[in-house]
Formats: sequence, C-alpha cells, structure tokens
Amino acid sequence: MHMNFMRHAFVLAVTAVSLNAQQATPAAQASGALDPLALPAPAAGSLVAITNANIMTASHGNIMSGTILIRNGKIAEIGTNVTVPAGAQVIDGRGKWVTPGIIDAHSHSANEGINEGSQSVTAEVRMEDVLRQDGISLYRQLAGGTTTVNILHGSANTIGGQNAIIKLRFGLPADSIKFAGAPPGIKFALGENVRRTSNAQSTRYPRSRQGVEDLLRESFIGAQEYQREWDAFNTARAAWDKAPARSRGAAPIPPRKDLEKDALVEIMQGKRLVYWHSYRADEILMALRVSKEFGFKPNFTHILEGYKLADELAAAGATASTFADMWGYKLEAWDAIPHNAALMAERGVNVTINSDSDERARRLYQEAAKAMRFGGASEETALRMITLNAAIQMGIDKMTGSIDVGKDADIAIFSGHPFAPASRVDLTLIDGRVFFDRNTAPTLEWLMQLMRNRPRITSEDGGAR
Amino acid sequence: MTNRGQRPELRGQNVRPRFTIHHSRFTLAALTLILAPIVSEAQGTFVIRGGTVVPVTGPRIPNGTVVLQNGRITAVGASVQAPAGATEINATGMFVYPGLINAGTSMGLTEMGGVPGPVDTREIGDFNPQNIATSAVNVGSEHIGVTRANGITSVITVQGGSVLSGLAGFINLAGYTNEEMIAKEKVALLLSWPSAGGGGGRGRGGGRGFAIGGAPGVDPMVAYQNNVRQIYRWFAEAKAYGDVKDRLTANGAKPPVGWHQNLRYDAMVPAVRGEMPIMVDANTVTQMRDVIRFMDSLKVKVIIHGASEGWQFVDTLAARRIPVILDGVTGVPGNDDPYDLIYANPGVLQKAGVQLAFATGGASSARDLPYEVGLSIAYGMDAEEGLKAMTINAARMFGVDRDFGSIEVGKVANVIVTTGDPIDIRSQIKEVFVKGRRMQFDDRHTKLYEQYRARPKPPNK
Repeated sequence: MHMNFMRHAFVLAVTAVSLNAQQATPAAQASGALDPLALPAPAAGSLVAITNANIMTASHGNIMSGTILIRNGKIAEIGTNVTVPAGAQVIDGRGKWVTPGIIDAHSHSANEGINEGSQSVTAEVRMEDVLRQDGISLYRQLAGGTTTVNILHGSANTIGGQNAIIKLRFGLPADSIKFAGAPPGIKFALGENVRRTSNAQSTRYPRSRQGVEDLLRESFIGAQEYQREWDAFNTARAAWDKAPARSRGAAPIPPRKDLEKDALVEIMQGKRLVYWHSYRADEILMALRVSKEFGFKPNFTHILEGYKLADELAAAGATASTFADMWGYKLEAWDAIPHNAALMAERGVNVTINSDSDERARRLYQEAAKAMRFGGASEETALRMITLNAAIQMGIDKMTGSIDVGKDADIAIFSGHPFAPASRVDLTLIDGRVFFDRNTAPTLEWLMQLMRNRPRITSEDGGAR
Repeated sequence: MTNRGQRPELRGQNVRPRFTIHHSRFTLAALTLILAPIVSEAQGTFVIRGGTVVPVTGPRIPNGTVVLQNGRITAVGASVQAPAGATEINATGMFVYPGLINAGTSMGLTEMGGVPGPVDTREIGDFNPQNIATSAVNVGSEHIGVTRANGITSVITVQGGSVLSGLAGFINLAGYTNEEMIAKEKVALLLSWPSAGGGGGRGRGGGRGFAIGGAPGVDPMVAYQNNVRQIYRWFAEAKAYGDVKDRLTANGAKPPVGWHQNLRYDAMVPAVRGEMPIMVDANTVTQMRDVIRFMDSLKVKVIIHGASEGWQFVDTLAARRIPVILDGVTGVPGNDDPYDLIYANPGVLQKAGVQLAFATGGASSARDLPYEVGLSIAYGMDAEEGLKAMTINAARMFGVDRDFGSIEVGKVANVIVTTGDPIDIRSQIKEVFVKGRRMQFDDRHTKLYEQYRARPKPPNK
C-alpha cells in the first residue's frame, strides 16, 4: 500500500547522500525520484570527511573526536589532526560513534535458494548464481550498520555449495554487489541437519555422524585421485606437445571435467575456504582431524560447543563464527552457552558473532555486546567479533573490517556508543558512499506523518470508532 | 562500569527517602526456613547497601538501602537501620532494581526445539479455556535458571495453539516445585483473535490468528466473521452457564440431578464477568478494532498482546486505556514497511500514553527481555517508561502489583543488583533475590562456562 512512497524514499536513501542533512520533510522525500542505478562510482579524487567523531578502529583502539578522510572510496587519513581539504563532502560526526562497517560472517540473504540438498555432496553449486540485490532485507541490514555479508549455502548436506561474499550496495545492479577479490569458499555441514534428523523417511547417506566423517574422507580421496588423473594427463599432454608430430600418435584424452571435484581440489590447494557448520565438540574435533588430514585451514560456523575445545581450535589456527546467545532450539544446541564467543576469544581463537538471520543482521552490534555481558570480553574484542575478525575469517581483512588507512571506507556511524542501549545507526557507508541515511530513510515517523496528511476516504474510515 | 543509558535527568539527583522501616509483618514466612536448603538458594535477612536504589514507583535513592526479610521487602530508604544478624550486600557503585517481569513466555512449558517430549505449549482443538498453564511448568527446566540469571525474576507463563488456550499464570523463577513457583495461578484468559485474510497482512499481523474451517475457497472475510461469531457464542454461553449455575447453587444449594458441570465454561466465568483480564493476541488494526467492540459489547477486560500495528491504532488504544503487551520487538517488518517499524512501534504507543509491557514468547529468549526494551528506547520509547514496562506495568496488568513490580515496603523481595541499567547489554547482574532468597548463579550456562573455563590446557596444544 505504501510501495510507491517507499520506492521514492529508498531511491533517495541511496542517492541523496545527505551530508550534514537537515531533517528532510516527507514532502521533499517523496518528490525527488532519482534512478538508483545512475548512482555513480566514487569519482576519481572524490573526497568525504567524517569529522569530530569518536572512532572505534577495531584494529588500533579508539580515537576520540577524530576525523576520517576518504579518498576515492578508500580510507586515506585518520586522526585528530587531519586537515579536511576544500571541496570534501563533510559528515559532521560530533557526538557520534564510528565503527568499521559490520561484517556478517553467516547469512542467507539475497538468495533465491539456500539448499541444494538432493545429494550429500553438491560442491559444484554456487550461491552467486542465485543472488538478488533488490531484497528489502539488504537495505534493512544496512540500517543496522552491516556492510558486508557472507552468503552461505544451507546445511542440508555434508558438502554443500559455494559461498558468495557481497557488499550491501543496495540499489545497484546485481553484478555490483559481489565483493571483488574475496576468496571463494564453501559450506560443509555436520550433525543433525545433514543426518536428516527431522526426516525419518530419508534414505540419503549418511544418517550418522560416523557416516558424515566417512563421506568427507571418501570425497576428498576421490578428489585427490581425480587430481592425480589430471596431473598424469597434463604430464602426458606436455610430453605429447613436445614430441615430434609424426611419431607421437594420438593425443592423450583428458579426464572428464568434474565441477564437484574441482571445488574439493581447490580446498586442498588452499584456494577455497571451508566453513564448517558445526555444533557438538566431537564433530568439531572430527572436522579438525579431517581438515588436517587433507591440509586445509578450518573455519567454523555455529560452533556452539567451541568453548569446550577452544585450545584445540586455537592450536589448529581455526576460526570460529557463532551466535551470541541462541540455544536450546534443538538437541545439538543444548550445551550452547552465551559465553561461547568470549571464552573462545580468551583462549586465542579468532571469533566472530554472526546472524544467520535477516533479523539479527539488523542489530549485530547488540549481539556483539553480549560477549561483554557473558564472559567479559573487552569492548574492542566484542567489536572485532563483528568487524575485523569476520574479515579475517573470510579472507578480506586486507580490504575491510577495520578503520585503517588504505582499506575500503566501509563505515557505520552510530548516534551513540554502538553497545549502549539507546544507540542506533544513523549512516552507513560502503566505499565512502552513503547507502543508508536515517535522515532521509523512510521511518515509521515519516510514514505516520504521511498517513495523517493523506486525503480521508469516508468509507474506509468507517470502522475505527 | 558505565552509567550510559541511565536517564540523565535522574543522574546524581538528590532524593529524599520516601520509605521507612517496616518489618514486623510476615513472621509466618519464617516457617519456610524449615525447608532443607537447596544448592541455589539461601533465605535470610539481607541488607543491600550503598547502591542506587531504583524503586520504579518512586524517585531513585542514591546510596540507598533495601532490607529483605522473610521473603518481603521490609525497608527502603537512604538511612535505614539494619536488623540484627542481617547479611550485608555491598552494592556500592551498583544499582538495585526490582526483579524484571516477562509478560508472556512459554517458560517451563517447553525445553528444546525438535524434542517433543517436554513441549506442553499447545493442545488439540480450538476451545480449551480450562487448561491451566502453571500446572505443567517443569520445575527442572533449565530455562528457569538461565532466565533468572539475567535479572528476570517472574514471568507470565502462557500456552497457545487454540482460540481459547486456557489460563495464564504468574510465576516466580525459583522454587522446589511448580506450586511453589506460582505467585498467582490464574491471571488471564488466553484468547487468540481470528485473522482476516488468513495470513499475510502488514507487519507481524495476520499470521498469528486462527481460522476455524478456513477451508480453501471460503471467502476470508466470511470465514473471519464466522470465527469471531464463534467467540461471541462461547462467551454468551459461558455467561449464561455462570448465571444459571449461580442460581442453582445459591445459598449452598446442590444443583439438581441432571445438571452438568462444564469445566470450560467454569474457567471462563471470571473473565466473562470482567473479574479477570483476557489476554488477546491481536496484531492488525482490524483485529484490535474488533477486540474493542467485543470488549465493549461483553463488558470484559482485555489486554492486547501483539499490537504490531498498534501505531496505526494508537489513538484508540490510548483513549480506551487498553493495556498492550508487545511481543517480538526483534521481528522483521513487512516488505513495504519502514525499516524501523517494529522498533519504533513501542515508542509511538508509549508517547500516546498506552500502558505497555513486553513479552518474548519463547523460553530460550526470555532473558533478552531488557534488550528488547532497550531497542525500543533506541527508537523512541522513553527510558523511564521502558523500565516500568518490564516491572510495575506488567504487575498492574495482571493484578499482582500489590506484591510485585517495584521496590516498596511490603512487596515480595524480588530484587536484583546490577552494575548498570538492565537494558544495557554490558551491565552485569550481580545479585538476584527471589522471594527474599539469594539465588546462586548455578544455571546451566554459568555452570558450563565455569566448568570449561577451568579446563586445563590439553597436552601438546
């Protein structure tokens, strides 16, 4: 019913870049429709400055009343002594708190499909093939300061599909939301979901945790054998190429291309990150063994019992992405505790707090604060759990995740301290461009004003007395 | 420790004590001391000193003292003499709040998802007003200790699934048995208002109602009207039943042979007569409007539970003084709604003067109650009203405010000591008293945390 109004407003939200904006009136919001697709990339030499803000860098402490200068979408200067060049667009950060754009290490947003669960191994399936950039949920996550999300395949099968890391450039064409340069990954899953616990009729192998372990090993060994066939072929082909044309006979026949095995080979070559969906301590230890056996670094998601084996995780260099305080929603979540994140971090594990939900992705800053409440994480540790640590897990920490010179200007600006109860996000920037601005966003207050001013229709009005 | 999130206008305010010592009452409660002590509880006399006392119903008392004796609050003030032998609790630099009240959760009626054995949240059929939620509260539920450890000392425990799902109860989150947990067995009749259109709708509206005979091909508005009519019929029948029963049993008479008692109608009679509130699930404007018509026509008391479209109906809710329990502030708005619609809805209602409380629904999320209130405050709700919403308002709605919801002399000693505002996620809950018992933090989560935090480093790791 309000779709037209909302459209206009969203268009403005991504285009107006209301720097130092006065509160826009609803009338002004509704009038200036612009084409969101026309939003230009940050022009060469474009300058944005966030001034006098309390900056939480996530990498090197807080800078009170500091300035961030953004040039061409990258962070160019940070500090209390930054000179704002003439012509820079200035965002007045007085009284506000600035954090790196929040990174959600586990999401199923922007998807047309989440699971290809027909087989236990679907390593060839790609989330990037089913991305959609226009889901309103992306905008709402922006409104919670989230800028980058890891779109993972679901957990219906042991070896799931390939992930897609995106930036929430809501309003831009689909091919512009992918995070350029992010390393490819894949979802693996363990436990109740892949055992098809809630489906007694399922005859898909495996139906036990032992079977899951076996399937993993069989799959990797199959991929090794596949790789050896290719190696042998490549050697033979190279020799054949060099051999004199008259005497070399028929060219060697290449092995059949197998997209599923290609992905597994990439894992063993360190070119593709594995995100293990995991719950119980025993299965996490199994995943550590399998990862070691086939020579790749393990990254975990959920990992609700990670606190039971934090030392083993730290020793293996594993990363862990978990919920803040979800528990009890199934048997394997029964030993989940809200102290999980803080305890793993205390023992030296790289820990992130993720959403796995379009709802929690709107307030990950609150979820991170729970690591302070439960387990006593420091403020900086808690902040890293939704920024830098997530970037490290996803292999994008050279580009984003903290407020450091040279990184993408992915930034959330809060009305107060991000962990304080009455704070909310005022502005969210990606690559130095404002993608969410509460001043121009269609809010409930704005909608109520519109409805108050709408022409009254008597028949519709008849009910409420 | 931080004071961020405290109401600035109250920070450092010098307040004269309004409460005086009063501890001659309730000596009978001492009898409960005969009970063998169990691990998590110790009852005695406690003096909480040095903290900022936040009574909720009165001004803050900096450096205040609260005395808990025999399960009740016996003294509150700035200069209070401690009774002899009292255990001192040093709350210097901390805050003393009444225990928080979650106004709607399936506490004790469910344990874990995917495991059906402990789930007693739904019954077969649409018409089950007779079922008593507190009867099935599992005293061994791990959710009780976990929720309590976050400062929530009482909840309204509710079941659902039917049109009339039974009777909600007010329980304290401590006790050796569920009977001991009960503060008031029957506080509200649970009614789920039908939804027009069978799902969809704005916000969280629409999908939460029921649909008797919502067969395919039936006009949704016709189905809705039939469903509403059915509710009126039940209430009319219950009213007639109650009146007849009164007549038949007047002056201690036995009803005649051939007359049949009906437990379902019996359960409804207090609500039908306006003596007990009806907690009605209603989210859309249509639902809320029809609930008010129902209320007016039957002269019953209602509490609206849900009200996700409350902002569209705020003038009526305020003018008619309908109490509202918000549920699911962390939900996701409808696709064409403003992003902050659910977060901002409580503030709109509160500013218009609607009396609010908060519910979390599920048991595992019941401890997040203060954080949902915090989110509402971030998007416009007044902070002081937010505090009331999770304490005194909930107690008033369910008629238990004589005993609960604030720090006042004579009330049940449900008191928490915190390092900051409970809505601030960074605040630690340092002490929890339920019925004057000092609770140990021995909940499942704390125990597992301490157990594994003490795990020695494994060899070669």
